[in-house]
Parts: sequence; structure tokens; C-alpha cells
Amino acid sequence: MICDDVKRVAYFFLDGKLGENKQNDFKTHVSICPDCEQRVSIHRRLRLFICKRLSRDSAPQRLRQRLARSFRGLTSET
Amino acid sequence: MKTAVATDHEQGWDFEKAAMPYVDSLYNTAYRMTRNSEDAEDLVQETYLKAYKYYDKFEEGTNFKAWLFKIMKNTFINNYRKKKLTPHKIDFSEIEESYERVIQKNAPDLIKDPESEIFQDMMDADVKRALDSLPHDYKMVVLLADIEGFSYKEIAEILDCPVGTVMSRLYRGRKMLERTLLEYARKYGYIRGGAEPAKMRSRKDETKGRKKKDPETGEETDVEPEADEEAILFADDEDVELEIEEEEEPEQFEIE
Ligand SMILES: [Zn+2]
Repeated sequence: MICDDVKRVAYFFLDGKLGENKQNDFKTHVSICPDCEQRVSIHRRLRLFICKRLSRDSAPQRLRQRLARSFRGLTSET
Repeated sequence: MKTAVATDHEQGWDFEKAAMPYVDSLYNTAYRMTRNSEDAEDLVQETYLKAYKYYDKFEEGTNFKAWLFKIMKNTFINNYRKKKLTPHKIDFSEIEESYERVIQKNAPDLIKDPESEIFQDMMDADVKRALDSLPHDYKMVVLLADIEGFSYKEIAEILDCPVGTVMSRLYRGRKMLERTLLEYARKYGYIRGGAEPAKMRSRKDETKGRKKKDPETGEETDVEPEADEEAILFADDEDVELEIEEEEEPEQFEIE
């Protein structure tokens, strides 16, 4: 694996989606290439940041009540 | 795999009890899809009513959450996307280039303080704005993968597209999102520079090799951009062919 390959598959590595061989190649390269090690850390930090910051907007209470009313209507029909 | 849900179903399942735990997930995704709370609420309501109605079509033992998301996606397309949007023409090579510039220029800053959050002072609203700036298809895969935690295969089922397309969109969607965030970080002074303002220029702007000259009239016409949106990354490179694990992927990753 060369640096360009690492760039292309870094996201999939972080998703745990590389096959065993690819994953080992990836790890080997990253362990000897400081540039790629940095790159993978940056991807990982950005991913954590994005997941945390885009965490859910909760459904408004109004919607929950509306759904509850619908469900009551549906179950009383049957 | 028999789940508790499947067993309950056989015994006259309490739909409300099973479905309501997903209301926050569905609403959050609906809100990012419609960008409007009223539309999002209507979309979730309609999704639940359809799910209730078609519940006998749900395959027991499969992922109920993914099934709800698929209904929501289809409902969204029917209600809001009747008019087919013109495809976004995005120059990904430009995005990649500017991404590389900013990473190279700022790498040390971007990895220092690994214990703290990368752009601590950035506002949530900016992060959401960055996500909302992505073309719909790319936004969807990022939401489904990184916020809702669906596997590639589940996303492919929800969106009715091949796994390769999911991966391709995920790669590009994440890269666009990260690039936009890096650009904000530069603008607000969290990093020094390197990311020029986003130029989501269309391919039309690229003149070299993109024009076709009619030999008779001398008239120049734009060459149709190749339909690369659905292209599967890596397909042209056997050496880097991915071995995708079809089974449940481990959540953890590690680098020695
Ligand atoms: Zn390298």
C-alpha cells in the first residue's frame, strides 16, 4: 500500500470495512509513514467532531403528542 | 436472527411501543432532509402511518429501524422530490486538491491536543450549516452512516442503490463536509489557512478539454460531463480493490 491508497481507503478503514489483508497493509503503512498517520488522526478527529456536533435534534413534544393521538385512533378502529 | 421484536409481532405486537423509540432519529433526519420543522413533523407522521399500515410487509428479523427509514425516504421522494432536481455538477478534483492543501498546511495544528475536541469553539449551527450545504444524496449517506450508525448494506437498502454507490457517496460526502468545516475553521481563525473559499464550480468553467468545436461552423459546445456521480470508486484500480466485510462490522478501529 502506498500513500495514495491510504488516502483513498482511510474512511473505510475507520469504518472497520477493510478486509483483513487490506487492513493489515493499511496498519503497516501507517505505522511507518508519519504523514499518513497524521492524516488518519485528522480524519478520525473530524469524524468524532461531526458525530458529536450533529447529534440528534429531539423530536418536539408536539409531534410526540400528535403521533400518540394517531396511534390511539388507529388502534380504536380495529 | 430472531429478535424480541419478531416474537412480539407474532403475538400481536404493540406497534407504538416498538416504533416510538425511533422518533428522535427519524425526526432529526427528516429535519435535515426538509430543513423545516413543520415539513419534518409531517414527514415523520406520514412515515409512521404508512409503517403501521404496511406492517405485514415488514420482514421479521430484519432491521426495523432501517425499514422505517426506507419508508421515510420513499415518502420524502414522493412528496417533496416529484420534480427531479438537476444533478449537481461538482468538481471533486478541485475539492480534493484544496482539501490536500489545507491538510498539508495545517496538519500539526489539526492533530495537537488530541484529548480535546478538534474545533471546540465552532458553533453547532455552523456544523449543521456545513452538512446542509451538501447535495442531498451525499448528505443522506453521511447522516445515515455517521449519525444513525447504519451499515453500508443497510444504507444501500434504504436508498435502493448498490453498496459501491453508498461508499462512493460516503467518501465524497465526508470529504466535502470536512472540507467545508476546514474552510470555516480557517475563516474563524482556528487554523491558519490553505483552504480557499469553496468553489463548487460547474464543469462548464473548465475550459481546457471540455469544449467541443464543431469543425464546420466553428461553434463551441460543452462536452457532456461523464456521469460519474454513481461511479464506484476504485473500480478502475484492481490493486486497491476493497474487500468489503459483509458481516456486522466491528465498531472499533485501532492503529498500532
Ligand atoms: Zn504514507
